[in-house]
Amino acid sequence: MMGKVYIQAAEQISIQNPLSEAWMEEPIVYHEPFVKAVNPAFREYIAPNEARRMGNIMKRALVTSLKVLKETGIEHPDAIITGTSIGSLDYTERFLDDLVENGEESLSPTYFMQTTHNTVSSTISIYTGTHSYNTTYSEGGISFELALKDAWMQFCLGQISNALVGGHEEMLASYYELLRTTGYVGVEGMVPCSESSMSMMLNTQASPENLCELAGVSVFRTKSVQNIRRQLEMLAEKANVKVEAIQTVMTGVNGNPENDRLYQAVLDEFFPQAEHLQYKQLFGENFSVSALGLYAAAHLMKKQGTPLMLFVNFTMNGDCALVLLKGI
Amino acid sequence: MEPIYITGAGVVSAIGIGKAETLASLQAERSGIREIRYLKSTHTDLPVGEVQLSNDEMAERLGLGDSQRYTRTALIGKLALQEALQEAQLAGEALDEVHFISGTTVGGMDRREQIHAQEPGCGREIAEIATHNCAACTEMIAEGLGDFASMATLSTACSSATNAIITGANMLRCGLADIVVVGGAECLSLFHLNGFNALMILDHQPCRPFDRDRAGLNLGEGAAYLVMETAASAQQRGLKPKFVLSGYANTCDAFHQTASSPEGEGAYLAMTAALKTAGLKPEDIQYINAHGTGTPNNDESESKAILRVFGEHYPPVSSTKSFTGHTTSASGSIEAVFCLLALEHQFLPKNINWKTPMEEGIQPVTEEVAHPRIQHILSNAFGFGGNDSSLIFSKVNE
Repeated sequence: MMGKVYIQAAEQISIQNPLSEAWMEEPIVYHEPFVKAVNPAFREYIAPNEARRMGNIMKRALVTSLKVLKETGIEHPDAIITGTSIGSLDYTERFLDDLVENGEESLSPTYFMQTTHNTVSSTISIYTGTHSYNTTYSEGGISFELALKDAWMQFCLGQISNALVGGHEEMLASYYELLRTTGYVGVEGMVPCSESSMSMMLNTQASPENLCELAGVSVFRTKSVQNIRRQLEMLAEKANVKVEAIQTVMTGVNGNPENDRLYQAVLDEFFPQAEHLQYKQLFGENFSVSALGLYAAAHLMKKQGTPLMLFVNFTMNGDCALVLLKGI
Repeated sequence: MEPIYITGAGVVSAIGIGKAETLASLQAERSGIREIRYLKSTHTDLPVGEVQLSNDEMAERLGLGDSQRYTRTALIGKLALQEALQEAQLAGEALDEVHFISGTTVGGMDRREQIHAQEPGCGREIAEIATHNCAACTEMIAEGLGDFASMATLSTACSSATNAIITGANMLRCGLADIVVVGGAECLSLFHLNGFNALMILDHQPCRPFDRDRAGLNLGEGAAYLVMETAASAQQRGLKPKFVLSGYANTCDAFHQTASSPEGEGAYLAMTAALKTAGLKPEDIQYINAHGTGTPNNDESESKAILRVFGEHYPPVSSTKSFTGHTTSASGSIEAVFCLLALEHQFLPKNINWKTPMEEGIQPVTEEVAHPRIQHILSNAFGFGGNDSSLIFSKVNE
């Protein structure tokens, strides 16, 4: 029998004020189709000579992680697990541009060294001198939930008692244009395409300071409401919860009809009476923004005393994640 | 740890398409490292381990109409996946409850670098190629072969496939799956060939892992997948598995983005922890398939770590990258299949091109030597950022 797992702390850098929950009271509203993240003063967290070599995604991931480590007093987490779909996009594009424009001679390795997706997770390990489990998922819009599920499995196997789990994504104007052309972002009426970084500490230790309990994670592929019902019932049963008792649901509705359809069907079918919370109006859309969603869910549960919440992430190509949260 | 059974395996690399060709090459000491041919690079002085088929030839073997749609990684991956599924007798609806976990890093870069100049103001078709990410790569490999219950892509550079095997094993042990298909795929791209070249870690000769005069790695490409399942699932399907994944571990060297620590701390921790999960002692291992890239730094660091774990009487060690080149994200699963072939056919894969011992380092297996029955094999894969993982494969006693 698995013990309880809690979300102990969670920090973010996004298009809202960084490292703060100011979005709850005074959200920043954007009307542009593409918005870069609001960076904090990195020098307060990372030595300038270190920071100079790092791309934005690494600096942001490191700062959100260091803040969470400081808040929780954990120096070396038992696991560091990251989800990122496009990883070090900026440095990847710079190396690629250089290659295509200048050919195969006299390329510098500086950017290449930081192009692999695991740069984020390994930078946190290198910076903190942590030798424990370290891995990275890159599965489009479900990358973060796979990282969360990985941690969940290790708690289940009794291999860890805490885990630093994150979801990180940076974006460039040129790449935004490509994604807009594919129909992923920039659709009329949709939230802006954004950047985001989120790190959270999961811990088995009970404390009134914890944000909420992580009561279950399920990741699967389907576009059918009936399959979602089956997965939801299994998740609820394992967590000893009745589906009818879920009165709060947070979804990834973003104003793009193609994205929103399945969410609406699930809400209509299973939760006609439940309170429906959305986070993408605040944080925009990117492959790892669901990490910001779970962060917002955890902080809102703590603030409002929500007893039970279902967090839902459906991607347009059929990946689904259900996360069940219980109040402290 | 409860046993995790391996009921199918498929492999594609420079030394063969499928297990039969691969076994023949390993036993005949026939390297696949050659002059560059399929990748359109100006670096003709850099030997590579290419899969010896063009994209069109692979598409034809797979019965796909138009090879233009597919990345080379996807084509290579499909060939390996198909072989693994066939051996495990899995097809059609049976795959609805099977989970697919694959490792890759370069994703669809081989196609993107060809169209990159056309991207500004491009239409949807070009934009889709340009934004083809790791997940799209996994999806393209699976497409037409199975409607999997879930998919996951691991991206930890050169240990990606190994970590995909670890994620699959954890799913089985947690009761989240009965059957998983795990491994990785990666083709050569100008992007990483030039990246590694800029890092000055490519040998201009065929690579010489663990040799005093080694001068770097050769890049290779390929894919391999394993079908892993619980005892109950294998029994219910009437299979008699020959191999188990008996131990595994993932650790971090926490030293440098592109270099290993001098004492091989991450490698030491990974091998030690893998032995512990397997409930085995160092003397129980009869063969180590090393990461052994051929770079001065890796081989020295790994050699130290092996000596720290196994002492002076370490078991036979070899790096099969001397046959295939470094197949980056796919190397962990490709070398896993080599380990299964070694267990099944009771032979030690050689470390070819080796001449001179390293100072105070391990000495790899280079010729036929008498060896005890091979029961347990340890396989290492280390990635950029110090993502170090080890796996232990064992033969099921009949």
